[in-house]
Amino acid sequence: MGKILESTSTAGKHIDTMPDMRSKSIMQRSYKISIKPFPLVLLALFLMLPPAARSQSSPFAVPLDEFRSRVKDLQQQATWLDEENKGLRRMLKDLEDDALYLVVDTENNRLTMRQGNDVVHTAVCGTGSRQFIEEETGRNWYFETPIGSFTVLGKERNPVWIRPDWSYVEENMPIPPENDPDRFVRDVMGKYALLLGNGYKIHGTKWTTLLGTHFTHGCVSLGDDDLELVYKAVTIGTKVYLY
Amino acid sequence: MDRKRLIVLLVLSLFLMAADNEDQELFERAALGEREQLLRARIDTLKREQDFLLFQKAMYETDSRYLIINITEKTGQLKYRNRVLKGFTFVPSKNFPGEALATGVLVLKKKEERKGDRPVLVLGKALVIQWKRAYVPPAEAGIPYITLTKKEMVSLFVALEEGAMAYIVQ
Repeated sequence: MGKILESTSTAGKHIDTMPDMRSKSIMQRSYKISIKPFPLVLLALFLMLPPAARSQSSPFAVPLDEFRSRVKDLQQQATWLDEENKGLRRMLKDLEDDALYLVVDTENNRLTMRQGNDVVHTAVCGTGSRQFIEEETGRNWYFETPIGSFTVLGKERNPVWIRPDWSYVEENMPIPPENDPDRFVRDVMGKYALLLGNGYKIHGTKWTTLLGTHFTHGCVSLGDDDLELVYKAVTIGTKVYLY
Repeated sequence: MDRKRLIVLLVLSLFLMAADNEDQELFERAALGEREQLLRARIDTLKREQDFLLFQKAMYETDSRYLIINITEKTGQLKYRNRVLKGFTFVPSKNFPGEALATGVLVLKKKEERKGDRPVLVLGKALVIQWKRAYVPPAEAGIPYITLTKKEMVSLFVALEEGAMAYIVQ
C-alpha cells in the first residue's frame, strides 16, 4: 500500500500504466473549489433543454420534412389509385347492361330469367335426354342440349314441328322424303317457340309430367304458363346462356 | 446581479421556446403518423379493389365461366362475362381460414368425381368446393372447404372446366 502511495505521489510517471491508482490518489486530495451557482444553473438548464434545441439533428429516425413528403406521396398514390378505379368502374359499367337474359341449367333442368343480378322468373324445364341412337346405315344422334352462349334469333307462335330423320329412326319407321306432309306436325311444341339456331329451340311440350328431367332431343322444353311468360318478356336478340 | 437575472431569463425563455417547438413537432408527427396509417390502409383497399376490377374487366372479355366467392357473406356467383348464371350460398368448413384466405384469384386445378363419391372442385391448395365427400385424399386433408347443396354443386361441376378462375372477395 505504501508503495502505491509513493508511486502516485510522483504523479506523471505512471499515469498511462496505472490510471486507477492515479484517480484514487486524486480523490484522496482535498481541493478548495469555489462553486459559483450561476454557471451551474446555466448548465442544468442547458441539459434540461429538449434534445432538438440542443442540437441541429432531429432525435427522430425520419426528419420531419421527409416524413411530410412521404405522407404527401402516399396521398398522391391514393388519389391516383382512386382515379384509376373510377375509370375502371366506368369501363365495366359501359360493358354492363340492364337487358333481360335467360340462363338454362341443363344439369338441374331449370330456366332462369334474369336482369342484372336480379332473378325475374324461374321455371322447371326439360333438356336433352343424353341418349344415343344409331341408324342401320351408321348415322347416329346424341340428344344433348348444347352448352354455351346463344341469342334468340326468332320468335314463333303456334310453331310447327318438322320431324327430322332421327324421329323416324327412333320409332323404327321408314324415313319419308324431305317435304313429305307427314313431317309437318302441329300442336306438339306448345303455343310458342324461341329459335336459338341450329334447330335448337325453347318451346312447349305435351309431356309436362317429364319437366324437370332430361327427356328432350336437345331443345329446352317449358310448361305452357312459363313459356308464355318467357315468350312475352324476351325479344329477338335476347341472350340465352346454357350451361 | 441584474445582468445575471437577465441571462437566466433569456435562457429560460429559450428553453420554453424550444420546448414549445418540440411540442409542435411532436403534435405534427403524431398527426402525420395517423394520416400515414390511414393512407396506407386506404391504398391497400384501393389496390384490392383495383385487382378485382381488373379481374372483372378481363373476364368480361373472356369466353369462360368463372366464380366470385364472397367469404364474408358466404355467397357465390357463377358468371359468364358480365352475366350472373347462378347465385349460391355455402357453408364453410370448421378449419375455414376466413380472413386468412387471401382475396384474389384462385384457379380450378382439379375436377374430381370418383366412382361412388361426390363431385369436388379443387382450387389448388387454397380451397375445395364440395357437396359431401366420402373420401378425402391425404394430400387434400388440410385444405379448407366450402359445402354447397347437391344441386348447386352439380351445376358448378358441369359449368366449370379445369383452369377456370375463381375470385375470392372478403
